[in-house]
Amino acid sequence: MSEVILKDLKKVYDNKVTAVHDVNLTIQDKEFIVLVGPSGCGKSTTLRMVAGLEEISDGELYIDGRLVNEVAPKDRDIAMVFQNYALYPHMTVYDNMAFALKLRKVKKADIDKKVREVAEILDITQYLKRKPKALSGGQRQRVAIGRAMVRDPKVFLMDEPLSNLDAKLRNQMRAEIIKLRSRINTTFMYVTHDQTEAMTLGDRIVIMKDGFVNQIGTPQEVFNRPVNLFVAGFIGMPVMNFFDGCKLLLENGKYFAEIRGVKFELDEFQQKALKQNGVKPCDIVAGIRPQHVTVGSGDLTATIEVSEMMGSEYNIHARSGEDEVVMLIPTVDLTTDVSIGRNIRFTTKPGLIQLFDKATGNNLIWYDADSAANNAPVCKRYD
Amino acid sequence: MDAATGTLKAPVLKKPGNSASRRLRNFKENAPFLLMILPAVVVVFLFCYLPIYGVLIAFQDFMPGDEILSENTIWVGFDNFTRFFNDPQFWPLMKNTFLICIFGFIIGFPLPILIALTLNALKSKKVGKSLQTIFTAPHFISLVVLVGMLQLFFGSDGLLASIAAHFGGSYKSLFLKDSAFRPLYILSSNWQDFGWSAIIYIAALSNVDPQQHEAAILDGASRFQRVIHVDLPAIMPMISVMLIMSIGGLMGVGYEKALLMQTDGNLHTSELVSTYVYKQGLTGIPDQAYAAAIGLFNSVINVVLLIIANTTSKKFSENSLW
Ligand SMILES: Nc1ncnc2c1ncn2[C@@H]1O[C@H](COP(=O)(O)OP(=O)(O)OP(=O)(O)O)[C@@H](O)[C@H]1O
Ligand SMILES: [Mg+2]
Repeated sequence: MSEVILKDLKKVYDNKVTAVHDVNLTIQDKEFIVLVGPSGCGKSTTLRMVAGLEEISDGELYIDGRLVNEVAPKDRDIAMVFQNYALYPHMTVYDNMAFALKLRKVKKADIDKKVREVAEILDITQYLKRKPKALSGGQRQRVAIGRAMVRDPKVFLMDEPLSNLDAKLRNQMRAEIIKLRSRINTTFMYVTHDQTEAMTLGDRIVIMKDGFVNQIGTPQEVFNRPVNLFVAGFIGMPVMNFFDGCKLLLENGKYFAEIRGVKFELDEFQQKALKQNGVKPCDIVAGIRPQHVTVGSGDLTATIEVSEMMGSEYNIHARSGEDEVVMLIPTVDLTTDVSIGRNIRFTTKPGLIQLFDKATGNNLIWYDADSAANNAPVCKRYD
Repeated sequence: MDAATGTLKAPVLKKPGNSASRRLRNFKENAPFLLMILPAVVVVFLFCYLPIYGVLIAFQDFMPGDEILSENTIWVGFDNFTRFFNDPQFWPLMKNTFLICIFGFIIGFPLPILIALTLNALKSKKVGKSLQTIFTAPHFISLVVLVGMLQLFFGSDGLLASIAAHFGGSYKSLFLKDSAFRPLYILSSNWQDFGWSAIIYIAALSNVDPQQHEAAILDGASRFQRVIHVDLPAIMPMISVMLIMSIGGLMGVGYEKALLMQTDGNLHTSELVSTYVYKQGLTGIPDQAYAAAIGLFNSVINVVLLIIANTTSKKFSENSLW
């Protein structure tokens, strides 16, 4: 069991900057948690508090049921992989990996066995005698991971481990981490600002902004059930289309979303949820994912400004009033002419429209006030 | 692609401009940098290379006032050098110079490294900075003042003498003892310069990637172990370069301080090659040719040492001056 519990974890730097506000997070044993968010949102700070590299200003941190606020990093049973690898340049790959075990006075033969075993897994056996200088970025990253692995840590911390690699290598290493994870089966805490990494690696994703956690959830949840405008805009490529100045209407006991003067009758689930939440008619921001737009029919209109053929799909940028609308249309579904300058009609399924309260930015359906009050916001559950 | 034959044509490279115009362009591009380096070249040429011409007098029977090259020049080959080797002073001079340099080196070389590592490892950066300033200050004391201070402490009427007198003991000035010259010379030099010499290492240490320290912390390294395994290797190239340079200057101790500290009482240990050169060349009946020969001999030793040190370092580590 290596559960990690962050309880009201807070970090205030000397210059009185509050980098992390009361984070509450329970990481299950063997779970892969990804912290994601824009630059400066406090991801690294949170991770470094767990590592013990940064003092915890307030709150409690439990690893494996033990309060570790005051425990030295080396005794927390964690290992960390750094963005720039942080390998010891004067040591060979072998020594880099053996260093922690040597300091722990592990027997030479055991060290040797462990290092070779890990090197085998990571496919770096042939580099063991080299210095880090003589390795490529990807190989260095493997060594850095290997250095963490030899210690059999309870928790694996990684701070943007792939961001120094080029795109192709990054994809490759991402796949390796997924494979690695299935082999070593331990708890992971992974920081990235790349949402592809977050979505593909994480069992659950923690989305942060300005030191606050905005949503904790599985990749499906944060994609389909974003609790507020920020999460909706942060997750998903291309970015969700937001239509400002829309209205939520309630007519004859039925909810409608009015977008650019066009009324959409919301689907059964939405009706039920809105009713359950007691939502009154109000100004809203409507969100439609580019993937959810259909072209060629409907009452919304736009003028195409950019039309990119991406192979299996078209990436279309169109202007609708003052909004720019991005559409991602599978080539096979396309029956209309989408060349630049064309006026087109478009629409979406009402059930796929995300409804955000204009005043608060919260999702009228998925925002969960209770969990948000506990600083551990998750999407609302309906049964 | 040539459609008819289906072969690829080699891409036509633009002909490079003729070499004269290329050179001109090169020159134009580099002109600002050449201009910037010009003063240094001029100064080095005037004050370091041109005077080498004067070394010729080491091979002449030269009298003050003679021209260095004229039809009256009397060439004597290596006579001045053999004279020095047969000088009864030769071995004492060599020994004194060597000992003062080697002991100075043994203490003075590692000390700044230790200080730099220690200051860098201090938790409080404020304390570190203050100590560094305090340690650096003595460097700015002039030699004359420094020797004056030594007199005040250790001379015949100095502090130690008064204390001894107060307790009714007898005291002989350290400046009058052969045995005291070297320790006094070496310790005071180190006191004056260890902080200054540490600066270069402190600068190198500030470049160490903090993530490497963090990695070591997580690996379980103590503060001391991090100094050994992270800091020290990081400044190793700097240490090698400094080592080569100090070995190269091993026999090159100057005459000023030794001369200031010299008395009849400590002449046996305080007479160095450089003070001897000074005396031969500039005092009494000056024998400049002889002095030049001794100076040249000493320089040759230094060059040889430098080359040996550099070659050795190149062989055993990746660091070298050239
Ligand atoms: N040592 C420090 N002293 C003061 N403020 C700091 C310090 N380190 C970080 N901060 C501040 O804390 C906030 C969070 O920083 P953090 O490094 O955790 O961001 P991040 O989410 O990891 O960003 P990035 O994606 O750029 O790495 C930032 O506003 C940053 O300026
Ligand atoms: Mg960061």
